[in-house]
Order: sequence, then C-alpha cells, then structure tokens
Amino acid sequence: MLLPAFEYARPQSVEEALAELGRHRNARVIAGGQTLLNALKLRVAQPDVLVDVSRLEELRAISADADGGLRIGAAVTYDELAGSPLVREHHPVTAAMSARLVDRQVRARGTVGGNVCLADPTSNFPPLLVALGASLSVDGPDGSREVAADAFFLAPYVTAVLPGELLVEVRLPPLAPGERVGYESLQLGTDSWALARASVLVRSNGAIEHARVVLGCGPVPVRQPAMEAALRGAATAESVEAAAELAGEDFEPPTDVHASSEYRRAMGKVMATRAVLAATREDA
Amino acid sequence: MADSAHPITVIVNGETHERTVLARQLLVHLLRDSLALKGTHIGCDSGNCGACTVVCDGRAIKSCMMLAVQADGRSIETVESLSGPLEAPDPLQAAFTRHHALQCGYCTPGMLMAAKTLLAENPRPTQDEVRHAIKGNVCRCTGYVNIVRAIQDAAGTLE
Amino acid sequence: MSTPRHLDTWTPPAAAARWTGLELPRKEDLRLLKGQGTYADDLWMHRMGYVHFVRSPHPHARILDVDTSRAERVPGVYATLTGDEVRRLSDRYTQLAPEPGGRVKDYCLAVDKVRFAGEPVAAVLAESRELARDAGALVEVDYEPLPFVLDAVDGAERGRPQVHTEVGSNVGWHGVFDFGDVDWAVKAADHVVRIPHLHFHRFTSAPLECNAALVHWDPGTGNIELQSNNQMPQFAAMLIAPALGVRTDQLKFKAQDIGGAFGIKLTTYTYLTALALLSRKANRPAKWTEYRSEHLAASAHGNERTFRDIEVPVMADGEILGYRAAAYDDVGAFMRYEPLGAAIWSQVMPGCYRFKHMRVDYRSVFTNKCPVGPNRGYSRLQHLWLVERIVDLVADELGFDPVELRRRNYVPADAFPYTTPNGCVYDSGDYHRMLDRALELIDYDGARELQRDAHGTGKRIGIGIGSTLDSGTNNFGQARIVNKHLPFSGNGEAAICKLDLYGEINVALGTVPQGQSHETTTAQVIADALGVTPDEVLVQPGHDSARNSYTGFSGTYASQFAVTGIGAALGAAERLRADIVRVAACVLECPDEEIVLVRGTASVEGDEDRALTFAEISNLVYANIGALPPDVADTVTLNHRYVYRPPFEVPDWKSKAGNLALTYASQVHACVVEVDEQTGQVRILDYAAVDECGTPINPQIVEGQVHGAAAHGVAAALQETLEYDERGQLLNATFWDYKVLTAPDTPMFKTDNLPCPSPFTPTGSKGMGEGGGAPLHSICGALQDALRGTGAVVTDTHNPPERVWRLLRTPPEARVHGVESVSRKPAP
Repeated sequence: MLLPAFEYARPQSVEEALAELGRHRNARVIAGGQTLLNALKLRVAQPDVLVDVSRLEELRAISADADGGLRIGAAVTYDELAGSPLVREHHPVTAAMSARLVDRQVRARGTVGGNVCLADPTSNFPPLLVALGASLSVDGPDGSREVAADAFFLAPYVTAVLPGELLVEVRLPPLAPGERVGYESLQLGTDSWALARASVLVRSNGAIEHARVVLGCGPVPVRQPAMEAALRGAATAESVEAAAELAGEDFEPPTDVHASSEYRRAMGKVMATRAVLAATREDA
Repeated sequence: MADSAHPITVIVNGETHERTVLARQLLVHLLRDSLALKGTHIGCDSGNCGACTVVCDGRAIKSCMMLAVQADGRSIETVESLSGPLEAPDPLQAAFTRHHALQCGYCTPGMLMAAKTLLAENPRPTQDEVRHAIKGNVCRCTGYVNIVRAIQDAAGTLE
Repeated sequence: MSTPRHLDTWTPPAAAARWTGLELPRKEDLRLLKGQGTYADDLWMHRMGYVHFVRSPHPHARILDVDTSRAERVPGVYATLTGDEVRRLSDRYTQLAPEPGGRVKDYCLAVDKVRFAGEPVAAVLAESRELARDAGALVEVDYEPLPFVLDAVDGAERGRPQVHTEVGSNVGWHGVFDFGDVDWAVKAADHVVRIPHLHFHRFTSAPLECNAALVHWDPGTGNIELQSNNQMPQFAAMLIAPALGVRTDQLKFKAQDIGGAFGIKLTTYTYLTALALLSRKANRPAKWTEYRSEHLAASAHGNERTFRDIEVPVMADGEILGYRAAAYDDVGAFMRYEPLGAAIWSQVMPGCYRFKHMRVDYRSVFTNKCPVGPNRGYSRLQHLWLVERIVDLVADELGFDPVELRRRNYVPADAFPYTTPNGCVYDSGDYHRMLDRALELIDYDGARELQRDAHGTGKRIGIGIGSTLDSGTNNFGQARIVNKHLPFSGNGEAAICKLDLYGEINVALGTVPQGQSHETTTAQVIADALGVTPDEVLVQPGHDSARNSYTGFSGTYASQFAVTGIGAALGAAERLRADIVRVAACVLECPDEEIVLVRGTASVEGDEDRALTFAEISNLVYANIGALPPDVADTVTLNHRYVYRPPFEVPDWKSKAGNLALTYASQVHACVVEVDEQTGQVRILDYAAVDECGTPINPQIVEGQVHGAAAHGVAAALQETLEYDERGQLLNATFWDYKVLTAPDTPMFKTDNLPCPSPFTPTGSKGMGEGGGAPLHSICGALQDALRGTGAVVTDTHNPPERVWRLLRTPPEARVHGVESVSRKPAP
C-alpha cells in the first residue's frame, strides 16, 4: 500500500521530459499511474524518479490524418479515447473497448501510453495494436523513431522504449474498405482482466480475403500466421473454427491460480474464432 | 533512495489548501491525514476496491491511485462536500437511506462520489448502466441491489 | 442546534400502531452517508506510533534468530518486539481443545517456529507508517525451513510433517457424531448412493475494512485501552487477559463504526496482544492498520472441509434415510476459535430434512495455512452444502426430480417445533411453501422450457435449488461436546436501558454492530415498549466496554442479535417501564395497572390529563430526590441492566446431543444458470432468495442481509477462492487475485420473506444474517442440472470457468469422483 521513496518531476514539455529522463539512470514515466502505482506499492518497480507527463498537451491530442488514420497522444486517457468522435468514427472497436476498461475511475486517469508501455500480458491495448498494424512514435535524445507494434512488445513489461526515451504517440492506420476489427476476451468477472484474448483485423467480402490474428495473454501479443493463412477463403463459422484450431500452438500461456496453460490455450482458439466471427458478422 | 518534497495547491471541497507533500504520498493520505477528511476510506492495497473514490476535476478517481503531488492545481470533492454534518442529506444520500443502500457504511462515500459523477454525465441511467458505473466500487454488505435501486431512484429511473 | 432527525425526511405510514415491523430508515445512516463515521483507522492519539509486522515467508520453519538491531538504529523507530520477548512477557493462549489438541502453544508472535506463510514474527513501532514499514524490512530473520502439510486429508495420516509436535499428530480434534442407526439403514435401504469425495473450499467474506486497532497500555492506571474493530471483545478479553497477566476489567474495548466483519474480525486477539506489548514497551499508544494482503494471508480464513466416503441409504419411494460420511476440517495452523466449529455444524445435522440415521466421523486437522475463523455461516455452511449435494446427487443418480425429492424429504410445516435425531429443536418453518415461492419467482416451468430450447445452441441451462438453515442464538454448552471441561453453557446478552437526567431514553447494548442496524432495530422495539417514537430512543453507537454492559458472549456474530440483543434491550426496557409506572402511579395516586405509557408520558388510562412526562419522572429520581416517598425512592433507579438468557440445558457431551441453537431461520434459493459449453463460463440468468426469520423487526433490513449473504455465496461459488501453491504460498493475496464480486456480476436478487414466528423468542423474531450459504448449494445444483447427461459430478463448492470446462469434457473412464449406487430395487 505504501510507496517507496522516489523523486518526482513534472516537466513542461516533451523536450524537458526527455532531458529529465536522460539525467537519471533509473527514471520512469508516469501518466495516469493506474498500473505503475500498483507496481510501486508491490515494490516490483523501484525507480529513482517519476517523470510525470500526464499534463503535457503535446501528448494529449487526438487527430485524424487525411486518409482516416489516427494519431493518439500517449497521455490520452481511456475516457478521452472512448468519447472521441474521431476514434468512434474511424476505430469504433477501439473506442468501445476503451469505454469498458476496468472501471470508470481507471478510465478517467489511465492512458493508452501507460497501458502500452507497461506491456502487462493481460493488458488490452497491445494485442489490439498489433492486430491493427499500429505504429508507435518514440522520442529520444537522438530524435524520433517509429516502431511497428509487431516489434514493440518484447517481453512481459519490456518494450522497445529504451531508457531515456518517451513514447509520444500511437498511430492507428486507417481501416481499408471492407476491413473490420474483432476483439474478444475471456474475463474473470465483467470488465475484469483476461485469461485469454484475441484481436483480429479482417477484410472480407462474403469470404475472408485477409486477416491479422493476434492472441493476447501470452508473454507478448503473438500473431497467428497459421490461422491467418487458413482463414483465407473462409466463409462459414465452421471454417473459421477449423482455422482457429491452428491458433496458439506456438506459445506457452502461463499456469496460475486462475487457469492452467492448457485452458488458456484452448480459450485462445475460442476467442480467436469469436473475434473473427464478430468482425465478419453481417449486422455489425 | 531520496524523497523529494513539493509544494502543492489543491482545492478540496471548495477550500484552497497549500501543503508541502513528499513525492511518495498518496492523495488518499493527504485527504485523511493532512486535511483530516476521514470520510474517504482505504479498503485494499491495489486500487481495486474503490473505497477511496473522490471526484477530481469532475471525474471519479481512486485517490489511492493518485499521488498527492499530482493533485496540484486540481479541484477535489470528497463525500464531506455532499452535505455538512448539520445539514439535510442531499438527494442522493436521501435516496441511499430510503433504499437501505448502506449497512456498514465503509464503501458508501466512494459509492456516493462515483454515483454523483455518473448522474452528472448520464442523468437517466438504466439499471445496467448503473451496475457498470459502480463496477469499481466494492461492497461486501449489501449485495449491491439496494445501491442500484437508490441511484436509479435519485435519477428518477427506478421502475 | 441539533443534528437533523432522520424522521424529518420520512413519514411513517398512517395507522401504524407499532414501530416493530416497519421499514424505518436507519438511525446509523446520516453519519455514515456524510463520511462522519468513526472507524478504527480514523483514530489518533498523541505520541502514538505505527506498527508494522514482519512476517514469515515460509509455511513451516524453525526460527533460528531474529535480529532487530538494524531496525532499532533507525531514527524514529520507537520499539521492536520479537517472539522471544513475547515468550518471556506473556503466557500462551488458552486452548479450547482438550488433550492432545489443547497442548498447542500459541502466542501473538511466532515463538521458535513459524507455521504458516504470513505468520507475524516480529513487530516494529515507529513514528510513521512508512518508517515502520521500511524499518520492518531491516529486521533480519534466520529460518530453517521444515517440511509442511497443505492438505487436511493427507495431513491427518500418520507420518506426515507435524504442525504442532506437542499434539503428536495433525488431528487437533476428533469425534464421531452418531444418531439413529445408519449401518442398519444402509443394509435395509432399497438403494445406497455412494459419493466418494466432496470438497468445500477455502474463502473469506473479506470485509471492506481490514483489521485495525489503536492500543494504549496506560502507564498510570495500568489499564489497556483497545480501540479496535474486533467483533467479540469479551471473548478477546478472556484470551488476552490471562496471556498478559492482567485482569479482564483492565481491558477497555471501544469501537464505534466497523466496516463489516462477517466473523473474520473475531480472532484478532493475537494482534491486539502484540500491540499491547509494544505499547507498554515503548510507553506510547500503538496503532496498526492491516494491509489487504496481510488480511487475506494472515487474519482468518473460512473453514475448508473435505467429505469422504459418503453413503446415502434411500428407499424406493425417495425417502432418504440419512447418510454417513467422514469429514476433514482444515483449520489452518492454529485453532483460535476452533474446535467449536467441530460441534457447531451439528446444529444442522439433517439440514432441512427428516433424516433419522446419520453418522459423521469428524476431524479438525492442522495444516500450514492461515488459521480459520468463524466466517459467515461458520461451520454450518459447510455441512448444509454437504446435505444439499447429497439430495441433488441422489436425485441425479437414481433419476428422481430434485424438486420432488426435496418435497418428499423436507421437515413438513406441521412438524414444528421439530426435534432432530441429535436433539436440536427447529423452532418453526415452512420449507415447502418457501420452495414453491422460490420456484414461482424464477418461473420454474418457463426455465425448464428455456432449458429444452437451449439444446444444441452451445449453451446449457441449469436450474438449482439451495435449501439452507441459519441456526441462531447458540447454546454455548455445545463447547462441552468438543471439550467437556470448558466452563461454558447457555448464552446471554446484556443491555442497559435508562432514562437520563431530562427523561431521555438511553440504551447501551452488549453487541458490536458492523452494519447490522442495531441502533435502528433496537429503537423500534424499545419505542413500542415505552410508547415513544424511535427518534426518542438513543441507542449508543458502537460498543464501549466501560459504558456498555456485557457478558462473556457479547458481540455481534452467529445470527443472534434479534433474539439476544433485542431480548436484552427489551428486558431492560421492561424493568425501566416498571420504574416509570411506579413513580407515575405514586405521584398520580392510582394503582400501577392504570398507568399507560403513551407519546412520551405516563398517564392514567382514560384520563390523559393526569400525566407525567418522562422528564418529570427523571427529575423526581435524579434531582428532586426528596419529593418521593421512601418506599418508592428506594426501589426505583430508572437505570436497568438486563441479561437475556435463552432457555437452554447443557448438552450431553457423551452422546453429543442437545438443543444447540434456539432459532432456525431458513432460506430456499432457486437459480437459473447458463453455461457456455465452449468456455465453461457460468452466467446467472435468474435468482430468487426466499427467507424466513420469524417476525421481522424491520423487513428492509432483513432483505438487506439476505442480499448481502447471497452475494457472498455467489462470489464464493463462482469467483472467490483462497488457494495455496505447492510451496505453501497463498496465491490470492490481493484483490487482483482474490476476485471479489462486483456489481455487474451480482444478480438483482428476487426476494420474498415468509415469516413463521418463533415460539421461543421474546418477539417471535429469529436471528438471521449469516444466510446459510444457499447460493453455494443452488449454483452447484444448477451446474449439476446443466451438466445432466454428461455424467459429470459437481464435487466442489467453487466452480470457476476452467473447472466447469473440465467437467464438460472429462470422459467417463477418467472420472475420479464418480458417484455410484448399489440398488436392491430398480430406480423409478
């Protein structure tokens, strides 16, 4: 419940934030703190300095590109995502997911950047971003770089953001005509964290032309190329289910007090099926 | 590991307070210890129970999941702002009493503040919307049924 | 200016002759709604220090050394405490168990050995919470890990690592409860259903407020002031006083508002003892507020119980003759209220049924896990679940309808008061009517149709019934069943009712409420007794052992307040009433019998102008003392203490028979669940809870208790469990992993209340509130129903998605816990 001692800085710009991060060997970024504060309470993180970026206007904007792609500032909260007319129009599944994350108190403060940079295996955004083919803009002392979501999540709690760097923006590519997103989670309790999760991006026209399938709840979000290949041409629920049998064979979900690895793997397939079906439903 | 101390100005229940806080102090401890506002409660170690819920700049937040220093410049409302000890209860509080929506009272301040923000955003919520809105507020006594009824009654949507 | 009276916003229905039975809004509410309650962590004393406990990481280990020197050197650390000091400064706690279980050496900190992960080993008192915690990390403890036991059935065998070597085995208590002739019944029955194994899991009601206390050992008076949220202070006093070598009247307990307790805040006398020692050592008040992770790992758990080798003799027409079973109760590392649970379950030995032949071979077994405490439904829950599982599995195995089988075997309404084979007297009830009503509320026929229509859709519908009892007002003579030397019998609760200087009616209870609305319900009953409004009755909030009166059994637990607490308050009010009448009769010059109490006055019946107000009466007794004639002044005090004693005899410790509880509230629940065949997830589609608790004093408060108990049951059935890994570590030690039930997952329970007044209690009310765990029974039944045809057997109280998923997929050959039957006649 109590936090360890640390110093706190609230820089007034991204530039100042980077300078602050560069000054300390063991600095961490805090925005909403909805998961970081727990890590501190549990003493699994012991930073020297917390650099608070939650009020940086540069990180709080949501804008749309001409092609319908979205740029979301890293310090945008789940509430802001859920309520943004731009997100609701261009990425409705993302908005809907944000509107149901955890509870209203967390949604008021938690940020997409925090969610993404924490890279907890059960977090909501990582598998969705990988499925969408999103990219993440990281600023550092040597300038800016884009990292594809596929290459961003390296291990539980480890991302491509290096010490001294700051995630500034999440970019969601536009959905092409006929492309829809599916997102299904097996949760222990409503709006709670998940045992298994699948996020898909599907382009279909009667039959599936192309799909990106991502399973969450493994150490990192994992694309499922075998299932993706098998989905091409699928036009019935049975064929989707059959394709899903190929999902999750290549990673070992954990066994813990809530579920066994075997169950999680089986549920990964079920969630993948349901996510694809949700993304291809006529009425959606 | 060094502590850093920070001067903050925070408006709590309409009153402006200037304090110096350690970086690691949580908002809930500032409220309870430094400002002697004991109505906001602590029920867990991990930000799950919602007993510490207060309103910050119009939004319900868990005060154990915010650093006191992050409240600098912000406006906080706690349960004590709903009605003073000698005043009549406000309509939401009166609805809670009508429907027996509290037993031990420990979750109640957090519930009230969460409900207040719900009704500010959505003045006529459905039963389902109410149940989801208080998802972040754990109660171990009432089974939630009467709390949902009370909030709907306050909103005029109880059938 | 006075605090606004709650009645300003509520108008009682017209023509209400009595306050009892009305849905009066609560007196407690205003302060709690405004955040003006006073809970234990809200308290502060000058010079106080904060306490942090250093805890064992091992489930079982020898303590080789505890070095507090680095902690003590930190500026701002006031004192530390170790097990060695505790052993020198205090005596081991009195054990309730007889030999050999009673040889256990239990202290407030681990002495020589640690016996569960989380057990406190040392304590630090420092000037701030943070400092106490940080200094605690500097305490160095050297352990030699030892082998440990985590399973009660296995742990009861010979040759296992012993939790307490003094005892000689891990069996802390053993007894056989044998009534009727079940061996004959098994031979004579048409069918015998065998159930190899059933398991009731470990969970906790987890009150939202954790344990907390501010303890001050006053160096001047030697009194120990304990401001804490302990829910049974006199039981704590009886254990703490001998341990510390003080008088029980030196222990001053105070509590105002308590954030729920549910039996989990009963065995905290160990922590209070440590705080007292720290306070004396440092000459400062010592404040401790438990963290949630400490609460889950190291306060108290509910009893975990495994039933084995269950055999049920059944006649062809569905009459269940009884059962025999072995029970292993996993009590954790210490028995701190146990082994009372070893007798208490027998209050409901046949459940709601007319079984005549029953035998239970019962063992309380130590394991290297958190000690258990009397969690809501204490010990009866576990047994009632066994009985309901038996009924459902008999139905399943022999092809009976579970509804009809219950109707066939329930105690019928005309049989009350009903004496069970072990001598317990069920005071009143009507289980058949309650079952009918529960089924009506869930539209049973419609649910069966829904079930049929669901075939082949990937979802299965199940309907389950949970019949249960909430036995209340314990006969503490039952303690002699577990230990014939325990000097306990009967029950008693105390209350004081008086008029104050200006005639104000003042009540102080022996109870320690944690949300059960005692201020309100007491005021309703006293208002009726004295002819006033509840607003004119001040019931002192909380508990203060210096102000209130108490017996050894005072507290709030075990579903008894409506009988014992109210009984005491009423008894005191009646004596006060007699005083008021005597004074009025004397002044108004008429016989006592002609005085009536109406609207706050004592007046002559039929001549209301001849009246005295309570203020005038008080004046004559307190300030105008010379004005009354001696024969009245000598006999009137306006201040009465009354102890309500239910009519109990001491049970026979040899046969274990006796009337062990005064009242038997009951609940019949019905639920409709939907099971997702692909995932095993369970969704409750409909839920009805019908309860009966005698004459309700405040129906809205009764319903609130029903909701709360039902929520706890649903939570345990589907989400909440306390599990240890193979290293003896608790895996659910935060609210991340102990998945407490939230609002969207709690059904909006449908309820109804069918009162059957108790013939044995002052008001016809029965104690209620614990609930009897009916959702555990009904959800297991519904799952069994949903899985019909798969051959799967629901053997556990806890059924999260993966367990249900596995039940749906276990091939018949792999079924370990299969039920089977031996039949002498074909099933219908």
